[in-house]
Amino acid sequence: MTLHANDLHVSVGDKALLTDVSLTINPGDRVAVLGANGAGKSTLLSCLTGESRLDQGAVWLNQRLINGLDPQASSKADNDPRARARCMAVMPQNVTLAFPLRVHEVVAMGRSPHQDEAMTRHWQRDAMRLMDVWHLRDREYPRLSGGEQQRTQLARVLVQIWEGRETSGEGHYLLLDECFSAADPAHQHTIMDSVGEFATAGVGVVAVMHDMALAAAWADRVVLLKNGEVVASGPVELLTMTQVLQNVYDLPYLIAHHYAKNNRHWLSRNSLAAQERARQVVSV
Amino acid sequence: MTIKADAMTVKADAVTIKGEAVTVNDTNIKLTEPLIKRLTHGQAWWSALSRQGPRSGGLVACLLVLCLCLLTALWSLMTGPMELQSNDLWRALGNVLTGQPVAGSADWVIRELRLPRVVLAMVVGAGLAVAGCVTQGVFRNPLADPGLIGVSSGAALAAVAVIVLSATWLEGWKGLTGPWALPLAAFCGGLVVTLVIYRLGTRDGQTQVALLLLAGIAINVLAGAATGILTYVADDQQLRDMTFWSMGSLANGRSTEITAATCLIAIPLLVSISRARVLNAMLMGEQVARHLGYSIQRDKRLLLACAALMVGAGVAISGMIGFIGLVVPHLLRLLIGPDHRLLLPLSALSGAWLLLIADTLARTLMPPADLPVGLVMAVIGGPVFLILLIQQSRRWL
Repeated sequence: MTLHANDLHVSVGDKALLTDVSLTINPGDRVAVLGANGAGKSTLLSCLTGESRLDQGAVWLNQRLINGLDPQASSKADNDPRARARCMAVMPQNVTLAFPLRVHEVVAMGRSPHQDEAMTRHWQRDAMRLMDVWHLRDREYPRLSGGEQQRTQLARVLVQIWEGRETSGEGHYLLLDECFSAADPAHQHTIMDSVGEFATAGVGVVAVMHDMALAAAWADRVVLLKNGEVVASGPVELLTMTQVLQNVYDLPYLIAHHYAKNNRHWLSRNSLAAQERARQVVSV
Repeated sequence: MTIKADAMTVKADAVTIKGEAVTVNDTNIKLTEPLIKRLTHGQAWWSALSRQGPRSGGLVACLLVLCLCLLTALWSLMTGPMELQSNDLWRALGNVLTGQPVAGSADWVIRELRLPRVVLAMVVGAGLAVAGCVTQGVFRNPLADPGLIGVSSGAALAAVAVIVLSATWLEGWKGLTGPWALPLAAFCGGLVVTLVIYRLGTRDGQTQVALLLLAGIAINVLAGAATGILTYVADDQQLRDMTFWSMGSLANGRSTEITAATCLIAIPLLVSISRARVLNAMLMGEQVARHLGYSIQRDKRLLLACAALMVGAGVAISGMIGFIGLVVPHLLRLLIGPDHRLLLPLSALSGAWLLLIADTLARTLMPPADLPVGLVMAVIGGPVFLILLIQQSRRWL
């Protein structure tokens, strides 16, 4: 049960957006995707969801081909969007609403692929509490602030794969595209902790991020993109290496050094959290 | 431990549901369908999720408007230049149901003059309102009314072309389709305009409103010009047939045409209502709707074809009637919110009701003159639209 992308190539005209990107997300993974603007982070995410058409390569979701061509069987991508939506939830960068739905109606939409909006109201309530939008549930979505809107959308996305948290979680995936950009620091960390709970339960999480500190404090693994290619991919400790940051972001040495030092600091919080998780597992 | 669902009063916090198993006060019980309903459907969950409760009693609202519709229909059958007694009405309606031949002038007036008109007004009103609701939902914009974006004028152009050219260029068309010739031609015209507008106004799933409305204006102008050219080449009889397009009237329906229009409106109307979930998901944009597991391209094409069919059939039989598609969904959204599962059926009923009132006014205000219902709608709809705009500008600025 994995989300597996193999040898992805995407280009528009003669400009290559992604070149030879491979990625495997296992149950419980917390993967952060980082890179400069225009490095291909969002393109990678839209390949994983089956949105972008691939020039080459393929994406498998729990052994089902959802994007590209199977090199062996050369069969076409299996297109059952509802089955895909039941095990993969995606949060785009920002979502505007054409007409003013209320917050709890937006969250209930997360159950739309399962068509059990009325039966899962307790999950919707829990998701809203988790994202701290419970007190806003009767407000109209377009009138919320940017951060509140993002938290509402995240509650919707979490509700979509809530089974992943209740049961073993295997085979469920959460794809987040810079969903914390407008949230305040306190919410950023509580949100990441809640998303982390899903990962602990076995949901595979991929998050596109800009904030290196947040990534260092949260992720297990990082994928660093530059000009559509994977520059480095591996444990989150990569973010503490000055040369890596210099290369990925084209930073001067001194600034990269500062970032690396800062990331080491945040990483210690991550390892503390990991120890705590380990202790919880032992006590259970 | 067995629990009778009827006798159960458990505090929500004492119940946890995990997969198939439910724990009530630390005792596991099997989760059965009635029990789930009991646990999740109760009023307690609504009051927990929304302090104001559901937006409104949806079913109650629908029934209310349906009753209003029926009462208005009876009132409409009773009023007119010829005075009728109420027992005339009941006898005539009974005769319709039992299928007896026409007997007496009162019976004839009701069955041949007023009843077809009432039915037609309701069907066309429902179709136009739902078509407006659908196009506004698909284009994600409250201004995307079939009249404003040119769908109606495209349909009217096609219908006029059939009237004028059926003797010459389009000879085969009329022979091919019989009483369905006008509605089908109007549908094709509406569909072509819808597709053109969609191509022009939408980039990457985002609709550019300004582009959409400007393209709509251009298409309205073009269709108007082409209609004008056809008017020049038309002979006297064709001119008489055509005049009502410009103003809209429900007086010209004959029973075969009404049957055709009813079929062409009822089917897409029901299909649209069955796709309410997709329209809801599309409120958040096509990308999100895709992530929620809908085949957006297919559903969008289906919905736009439905809207074009409803507008085309409506325009073919009753000419251009504006504002219903714009005003009815807009007002309802202010009242009950944008959930299409409620909005679409309620739009159908309210549109039927509104056009019925307008048509009854049109034929009774200045008897025996029969005002074009399009004019009455414009007189009602224009000010309402302006008030809406003023309210919105206060709200958004």
